[in-house]
Amino acid sequence: MTPQTTTIAASAISATKVYGSGNDAVYALRDVSVDFYEGQFTAIMGPSGSGKSTLMHCIAGLDELTSGSAIIDGTDLSTLKDKSLTELRREKIGFVFQSFNLVPTLTANENIRLPLMLGNNKGDEAWIQKVIDTVHLQDRLTHRPSELSGGQQQRVAVARALASQPRIIFADEPTGNLDSITGAEILTFMRKAVDDLGQTIVMVTHDPVAAAYADRIIFLADGHIVNEMTEPTADRVLDLMKSIGH
Amino acid sequence: MFRIALKGILGRKARLILTSLAVILGTSFLAGTSVFSDTLNRTFDNLFSDVFKNVDAYVRSTQVIEADFGQEERQRISADLVSIVESVPGVRDASPDIQAFARIIGKDGKPIGSGGQGPPTFGSVGEEFAGALWSTAQGRWPVGSTEVVIDEASAKAGKYILGDSVKVVAQSGSREFTLVGIASYGDVRSPGGATFALFDSVTAAEFLTQPGFIDAILVSGDGSVSDAKLTQAIQDALPTTGKTETLTGAEITLETQDQIGSALDFFGILLKTFSFIALGVGCFVIYNVFSISAAQRQRENALLRAIGASRKQITRAMLIESIVVGLIGSIVGVVAGIGLSVSLTALLRALNIDLPSSGLVVSQNTVTSTIVIGLIVTVLSAILPARRAGKVPPLAAMRATALEIAEPGRKRLITGLLSIALGVAIIGAVVAGASNNYLGIGILFVFIGTIVLGPIIARPVALFLGRPAARFRGVTGTMARQNSARNPKRTSRTASPVLIGVALVTAVTALAASIKGQIDDVFTAQFKGDYAISTDARGFGGLSPSLAVDLNKLPQVEKATGFGFLTVKVDGRGQYVTTINPKTIEGLWDIGLINATYADLKTSDMFVSEKVAKRRNIAIGSVLQTTFGDGSTRPLTVAGIYVNNEIGDYIANSKLVDGTSIIMFDIGVYIKTKDSADNAEAFAALDAAVTKYGQGELLTKQEYINKQSGQVNQLLGLIYGLLMLSVIISIVGIIITLLLSVFERQRELGLLRAVGMTRSQVRTTVRWESVITSLLGAVLGIILGIGLGWIIVFALKDQGLTSFKLPVGPTIIIMIMSFIVGLFAAIYPAWRATRVNILDALNTN
Ligand SMILES: Nc1ncnc2c1ncn2[C@@H]1O[C@H](COP(=O)(O)OP(=O)(O)OP(=O)(O)O)[C@@H](O)[C@H]1O
Ligand SMILES: [Mg+2]
Repeated sequence: MTPQTTTIAASAISATKVYGSGNDAVYALRDVSVDFYEGQFTAIMGPSGSGKSTLMHCIAGLDELTSGSAIIDGTDLSTLKDKSLTELRREKIGFVFQSFNLVPTLTANENIRLPLMLGNNKGDEAWIQKVIDTVHLQDRLTHRPSELSGGQQQRVAVARALASQPRIIFADEPTGNLDSITGAEILTFMRKAVDDLGQTIVMVTHDPVAAAYADRIIFLADGHIVNEMTEPTADRVLDLMKSIGH
Repeated sequence: MFRIALKGILGRKARLILTSLAVILGTSFLAGTSVFSDTLNRTFDNLFSDVFKNVDAYVRSTQVIEADFGQEERQRISADLVSIVESVPGVRDASPDIQAFARIIGKDGKPIGSGGQGPPTFGSVGEEFAGALWSTAQGRWPVGSTEVVIDEASAKAGKYILGDSVKVVAQSGSREFTLVGIASYGDVRSPGGATFALFDSVTAAEFLTQPGFIDAILVSGDGSVSDAKLTQAIQDALPTTGKTETLTGAEITLETQDQIGSALDFFGILLKTFSFIALGVGCFVIYNVFSISAAQRQRENALLRAIGASRKQITRAMLIESIVVGLIGSIVGVVAGIGLSVSLTALLRALNIDLPSSGLVVSQNTVTSTIVIGLIVTVLSAILPARRAGKVPPLAAMRATALEIAEPGRKRLITGLLSIALGVAIIGAVVAGASNNYLGIGILFVFIGTIVLGPIIARPVALFLGRPAARFRGVTGTMARQNSARNPKRTSRTASPVLIGVALVTAVTALAASIKGQIDDVFTAQFKGDYAISTDARGFGGLSPSLAVDLNKLPQVEKATGFGFLTVKVDGRGQYVTTINPKTIEGLWDIGLINATYADLKTSDMFVSEKVAKRRNIAIGSVLQTTFGDGSTRPLTVAGIYVNNEIGDYIANSKLVDGTSIIMFDIGVYIKTKDSADNAEAFAALDAAVTKYGQGELLTKQEYINKQSGQVNQLLGLIYGLLMLSVIISIVGIIITLLLSVFERQRELGLLRAVGMTRSQVRTTVRWESVITSLLGAVLGIILGIGLGWIIVFALKDQGLTSFKLPVGPTIIIMIMSFIVGLFAAIYPAWRATRVNILDALNTN
């Protein structure tokens, strides 16, 4: 259980998220504390409704915690107003969603550079080219999302997340809509981004095979962290899932 | 299916509200203008039935000349007739009546009342009369030649109290009177904002019109006989040579109401025309909203189709929705329209036009016709989108459609081009000599063609217009540009109302610019003098002819000449004749006489414009039978034909009616000063002469020319005001479309916000999309409008309009205004866009 590095990219401290109130209150997160280390590929797993997406959204500044704090790169997100929070997302966080990742009116190239353009930032051109090369999108750059396959769209989304060299990338079931071969391609690519480029990635997934690409897996159930595993393999993950009654 | 339709409506309240809004606006203008003109009609009806409420019989001259615009000039009758009438059995009281021009001068030396363009200023008789509506609120009625009574509103405006000396200007000049009373009219201080100076009948005749003569006799009966019998008895008692007629109170009331009615009808038709244009513009908005909502519901409809709904059922569901929307919208529209007319009336009051209140007239007719029209328009606008909705393939349910795929079809291109070609061909035929009547059809085809082509033009033009935004506004500009081009059909449907509004505004502006340009050119070329004196008295008198005589005696003046006018019948048709003084006009006005000089115009002659000469086959030497206001007819010989008919189509010698009972006055005096005269000195001398008469406004040549164009500006202002209705609807159209687009793009907005778009960037994007859409409509509208303006100017060439002027300045202003409209329309939708909840947006499917 030795982390590859001790630098913390993001963390949650006693994070609690309650939806509704009184009798109808739903505890999506109960007192969750977790650190995500730089240069590490972390997977979050757990049954449906266990709070995976909620945890991710709160740490990524898309949602607010009811109590506790979410910290990115040393900044407590609850202290930020909408504008600074938006800028923080733009500069320090990359996102890959399960679907509808791209702006339909923009080309693949523009979509990749979108966060940079929004910040009036040219970015590191050599790096962007490298990202584009790695995801094999050179000949698709001028196409709009509607002209790309689902896998290609997800690759564009990953490229976008990487292009601005964020501190951390959050991916919520990035391969959930893809066939296993295309999914494997995306996961390999994310793995490469961590290994070769030193990127930090947090990924929510249901798929033990996908989770096996990660360095570390956190298991959530009913809003709690119930287990952790490092250097997973698909079989070990499956075994563990069975043992915690997933 | 009905239940599904209802659920669909109630499930999307926002959509229901937005669709209804377009219907509400369109119908409220319709209902509002209709209620307003009905109310105005009723008000004037009441006003005149009040005027003659206690009048049982009315005696007047039978001698009348009717000219254009419902103007009529009736001869006066002798004041001696009053005593004859008074002695007829059954008559309780008879009062002489005079209505003429008189202006009350305030203590500051300025006339009370707005003069020229505002409500008229009257002089009349104020005597004790059983049938009078005027009553003295303070003091008593005037007696003798030095006393006056004025209306309460004027007294208040002029801060006059009893005993004050009041200066009144009438046709015969100005005079000081002692204020002995203040009168009110029924329950108002002054009818319709007009000012009144009241005198005893002898003074009124002598000061206001003609000594010994009056306009009419008002008779109040003692109730012993019926009005009809009374009227007959009076007519029988009057001398048969007197050329008089006697009407019952009911007859004169009806006649006056009819006259006012036809003047108001014109106004009503104008209002109605523009509110129908606005409704037509509203159709686009309704059509657009239904199209968008059909597109947004595509998946839902496809799902219904997949599980077994027929095409018809889908279409019917949407039509049912349109009926509900049309009905609700029209009903709310009627209510809103009533509110609108209330505020219009309030506006009139704010403009100091005090009308006796007679309550709003909301007729059954207004309510039903508005609702029926609103319903029909809504359902018609929904038919195409509804049919399109029915055609959705069940497969569309499985397909995610982030972009409404709208490839403009070939059919559209061909239809649009054909329509434009046909329109241009028709216009071409008219230009080549066909009847002007076909112009409208040609213009309509061009408009339809442009709108049909809209979706094809929209994309490239929007992309082009969006360039600066993309260049200077970075990614937000780029996205705005792409958004405005992403759905060309929607963009062009949104821009179409703007297009129509801008085209009409531009055309009207171009027309006005051409008219003004022509006025400028013509007057600069024809008027050779340095100063002009104009009067606002209109049909109610004017400048005394002795003013011109006085001016000619001034050492600084080289020449001064006056123009008068007469209403006569030429060969049985009512006409205006401009009268001139041939001795002094030479060198002051160039009317372009052909083979004649001013000196040829004797009192037995007439000059006729080339236009009329051609139309009526008149040549030099032709004899025109001319009937004058006093009933006499004389043959006048055409002694000259002239080209420039700006001052009128018939010209006669001002000495023509000397020695008759017809009073001549000048409506304008034109002056040339000596070259040696000092400008300031000349002006001062002229001003002093004019002031002495208390009437008329001294203007330099340029001021005079500007004043002529000023009248065009006034009409332009009215038409702009009426076109505002359409413009408001186009703005609302943009707002609705943007809002629907924002709703539709929730996910996209959520995504953008997630990856780092700030709220202000979101606003910028929506704002620029709106501006691009608005400019798209404006650019096409300006092109069409200029074309339209040119065509109208061409069509008016027979009316003397010869040169088309491009309104460059106003066009730039229209562009800027469209830009601002775009910014304005985006405010709320942009705000809504920033309020998108990121997580909700990302989670919706
Ligand atoms: N907006 C909301 N309002 C109320 N309850 C919510 C809301 N969002 C999530 N929840 C509840 O919070 C809990 C955690 O939801 P979350 O989306 O984090 O689960 P998850 O682990 O991502 O599930 P899945 O694997 O299905 O995506 C669930 O019980 C869910 O019903
Ligand atoms: Mg989830």
